[in-house]
Amino acid sequence: MATTAERVEREAKLEGVGCARKRKEDPRFIQGKGNYVDDLKLPGTVFGVVVRSPYAHARIKSINKDKALKLPGVLAVLTANDLKPLKLHWMPTLAGDVQAVLADEKVCFQYQEVAMVIAENRYIAADGADLVEVEYEELPAVVDPHKALEPNAPVIRDDIKDKKEAGQGPRRHHNHIFTWEVGDKAGTDKVFQSAEVTVKQAMVNPRVHPCPLETCGCVASFDKVRGELTVYMTSQAPHVIRTVVSLLSGLPESKIRVVSPDIGGGFGNKVGVYPGYVCAIVASIVLGRPVKWIETRIENLATTAFARDYHLVGELAADKNGRIKALRVNVIADHGAFNSHAQPTKWPAGLFSICTGSYDIPVAHVKVDGVYTNKAPGGVAYRCSFRVTEAVHLIERMIDVLAQKLNVDKAEIRMRNFIKREQFPYTSALGWQYDSGDYHTALKKVLDAVNYPALRKEQEEKRKRGELMGIGLCTFTEIVGAGPTKACDILGIGMFDSAEIRVHPTGSVIARMGTITQGQGHATTYAQIIASELGLPSENIQIEEGDTSTAPYGLGTYGSRSTPVGGAATAMAARKIRDKARKIAAHLLEVPEGDLEWDIDRFKVKGVPGQEKTMKEIAWAAYNNVPEGMEMGLEAVDYYDPPNFTYPFGAYLAVVDIDRYTGETKVRRFYALDDCGTRINPMIIEGQIHGGLTEAFAVAMGQKLEFDEGGNLLSNSLMDYFVPTAAETPKWELDHTVTKSPHHPIGAKGVAESPHVGGIPCLNNAVVDAFAHLGVTDMEMPHTAYSVWKTIHKLGLDKR
Amino acid sequence: MAKTHISFNLNGRPVDVLAEPRELLIHVLREQLAHTGPHIGCETSHCGACTVDLNGRSVKSCTVLAVQAQGGNVLTVEGLATNGTLHPLQEEFMQQHGLQCGFCTPGMLVRAYRFLQENPNPSEEEIRTGMSGNICRCTGYQNIVKAVQHAAKRLQAAGGK
Amino acid sequence: MEVKLEKSFPIAAPAAAAWRLLSDIKSMAECMPGAQITEQVDATHYNGQVNVKLGPASAAFKGTLELQSVDAAKREIHILGKGTDAKGGSAASMDLRAAIRDAGDGRCELAGTSTVTVSGKLASFAGRMMAQVSDQILQQFGANFAQRAQALADGAGAAPAAGMAAPPRELNAFALLWGVIVAFIKGLFGRKNPTAR
Repeated sequence: MATTAERVEREAKLEGVGCARKRKEDPRFIQGKGNYVDDLKLPGTVFGVVVRSPYAHARIKSINKDKALKLPGVLAVLTANDLKPLKLHWMPTLAGDVQAVLADEKVCFQYQEVAMVIAENRYIAADGADLVEVEYEELPAVVDPHKALEPNAPVIRDDIKDKKEAGQGPRRHHNHIFTWEVGDKAGTDKVFQSAEVTVKQAMVNPRVHPCPLETCGCVASFDKVRGELTVYMTSQAPHVIRTVVSLLSGLPESKIRVVSPDIGGGFGNKVGVYPGYVCAIVASIVLGRPVKWIETRIENLATTAFARDYHLVGELAADKNGRIKALRVNVIADHGAFNSHAQPTKWPAGLFSICTGSYDIPVAHVKVDGVYTNKAPGGVAYRCSFRVTEAVHLIERMIDVLAQKLNVDKAEIRMRNFIKREQFPYTSALGWQYDSGDYHTALKKVLDAVNYPALRKEQEEKRKRGELMGIGLCTFTEIVGAGPTKACDILGIGMFDSAEIRVHPTGSVIARMGTITQGQGHATTYAQIIASELGLPSENIQIEEGDTSTAPYGLGTYGSRSTPVGGAATAMAARKIRDKARKIAAHLLEVPEGDLEWDIDRFKVKGVPGQEKTMKEIAWAAYNNVPEGMEMGLEAVDYYDPPNFTYPFGAYLAVVDIDRYTGETKVRRFYALDDCGTRINPMIIEGQIHGGLTEAFAVAMGQKLEFDEGGNLLSNSLMDYFVPTAAETPKWELDHTVTKSPHHPIGAKGVAESPHVGGIPCLNNAVVDAFAHLGVTDMEMPHTAYSVWKTIHKLGLDKR
Repeated sequence: MAKTHISFNLNGRPVDVLAEPRELLIHVLREQLAHTGPHIGCETSHCGACTVDLNGRSVKSCTVLAVQAQGGNVLTVEGLATNGTLHPLQEEFMQQHGLQCGFCTPGMLVRAYRFLQENPNPSEEEIRTGMSGNICRCTGYQNIVKAVQHAAKRLQAAGGK
Repeated sequence: MEVKLEKSFPIAAPAAAAWRLLSDIKSMAECMPGAQITEQVDATHYNGQVNVKLGPASAAFKGTLELQSVDAAKREIHILGKGTDAKGGSAASMDLRAAIRDAGDGRCELAGTSTVTVSGKLASFAGRMMAQVSDQILQQFGANFAQRAQALADGAGAAPAAGMAAPPRELNAFALLWGVIVAFIKGLFGRKNPTAR
């Protein structure tokens, strides 16, 4: 009989699920041997630099390339006119709209792509770009989505001016894109009419940018002899990109290879198809040489995937005990100049309708209007599963507003409204089926850990002394792992994901997935799933992703979908292998399959000690001694269509101290409890949470893409766009509970986005809470010292 | 544009390059000398992904001209390990999970290397300030600080090498 | 990016002399640092240029100046200037209303309201400094104007007075920046500082 100690040791050797094993990808990074797109040096590579519009809205009167073309070393200058014969001057977007690849007669946002200069090296290309002469006629710009909807607002999109539809339903104004509604309008209105208490609050999620440290870029290399195109690019979704490139270029997918090498952070910034990629590809096909295009930081902040720009009005109806009866939400969504949001095609407002949050709300109605403005297109980025940040922000602010109105404690009001553990699976008023949760336990654990009553007492005393201290709570529910193919697709391709696992004769493994890591540590964690499922040590499990020539088709990594979808595919593929292994083991042990039981890393004959075959032995047998009629080899593929989304949740608490005279806000304490179901690698989970919280801190306290009224982007470099350093970043305290997902093969839910989604409202609530006793119910983010001081000053608190 | 002949020591070995007067050190390191450890993150000296050590000081090589390295000593992340042995900082970044996407890591390591020579026994606060010229978007710095703390202890124990 | 400024400058010269300068568009424009009238198109239209270098952005604006109205009785003038940078990277416009007010005793005052709108690169990169820099530009304009008006009154004619520095060809960024910093510091200490007590 195997002893417990022996079994524990055997299990530990696998370094499977639950093990905080060190990351497999680290050795190359710490030695400077990462392989990012700009590190690539193919022979004969030339460099592309994009000429961009200095104006937010202007007609292009002429483009003169002559001077640029005369510069020695400049090989070509591409403009819309050059792309026209190829029908590539416009490209379709994921949201049913079109986007100009290179501006066609008109520019609609500052820094829009007007031309690309291709030259022998990056210096000459930049010189060449400076020599392209573009004559503009400036037009009035509109950057405020509310103003964009005024009757005589400037027409932003001449190309669709008269169209009644822009891919997502009827439009009612020349700058209107769509109206999206969900829920029971009549039922909601009725509850509001007779409610004991109602509250209403307007709020804004300002436009921000995920700003990964590596900008976007690519190397496109067309082999004229073979007619094959290889594109190395910073993409979170290489397979989808290949399909899009195939559709755009007319090349068959089999002649296109898209490779995502190491990616220096994505956070949603690297999901979309950008004009720079398309121009580089065209240039490579025309010139027959590899073309490299790498964004500058300015280009990155100014033109590729922003996030948010949601202008919300929330309303709650409740009884006098604070029990919520209905939720009503109206949103103006600023999508910029083209509707090129990267999100499931059927969801123009993403998964925003998760905005009933962690609360049992009987009825709700949500309406979102998408609007064009003279700002950059391509949103829904930033560590967030398609508008979940905005949704959580809304409900978590609203419940605080309600608490303030009723003078109920902000933790208490949450406890009163939480969906109870026994209500799961729970169907929300807006139609989502929450898989599992235990919100009361989570919040209670946090309140106990920080001694919440003592904090409130301290706050009360401080208020008496005129000091400003805020306590912020956020008890969020996320919706991640897009998603069930019946609900989610991108350009008609269902949002499944895939894994392909091959066990070699000696028991080592190669596995390939349709997802792509950008720092999440897939090479480490996927191996852990396989190790636990197959009983083979993760040390010998090699993970590969990101190369469309070798990896199975997958939809990529964003929206916290790798673990819920890719991880599930991995477990399922491994189980297919284990099923075959069971048959081989039965054959080897000469017993019926039913007599076997799985034990960590081997099959045992029930009740017969010593009669067993390890997975390593079975792997060897798979290549020389299989049952009659069975194929040799030991491998499997799984395309996993998740039956549902997963619903990670958490309870966060922040304590802030605000200087009454300067508005400077210090995060004294941040306690984050996350429940992401089964925890595959606690070390990596904690790292993800640290990072997500820091990005939340950035958004809540300092980040904003600021425009002047003419559409000039005022925060276009790291000089003006806040990215926290180690000096500003608070210390994070982490905690967890484990409520497994009932439908996920290993019970995991996904985690990387929770801290961002939950962290922003938590910090925002903390800042507003510092002023709650003075009747303040909202303050516009980001909470920079100046911005907070304005509230202080308005309230007259800075008088001595 | 006429090119200038530049010689300097890169990770202890003499190198010679021809570069235009306007060429940046980061481009010469990455494109001519195949040292792609240091990265370009912002072009404005804010992010520190391009940090290298020049004559015993941390510099942002995206705003240093290559000609300024003339006759100097340049250390990049590729030169941190000695004879195949990782530097304690490299070890600790791995042990403490001080990196995720890895893009900032080379700059972080080279900065931390210099910082620990400037201040061999730093407090957490001093680490946070001393490393504040380098931005990381993934880790939230907590584990980077931890890695530097652990490396400092190991270096102290080894006699401050 | 739009900046509105209201300013007045005391001038040690009679109102008539100052008005002569103000209504002489070419001479008046040259009081603006970096500005130059290159051509008079007709009675109310002029072509000109302004060179600006500001932090990372530089621009050579070429454009037109349009005299909207001149009221000699009230000594008021309304000018509209528009220009684009030769490379197409920035555009700027200025709506200026200026008047000479008699202060008696052989002195007068130049009072003006101007709205400067800048778009493109200059707005995007230097927007943060726009208000201060415009203020400085006007300050220099005021100083140059006062000096010329005085010279005019002293009988030196419309040409620059002997010994007076020719208007700089390019708006001097260093001097300007210096001015901005000094103004900022003055603001810091000159202002009633709520935390300092």
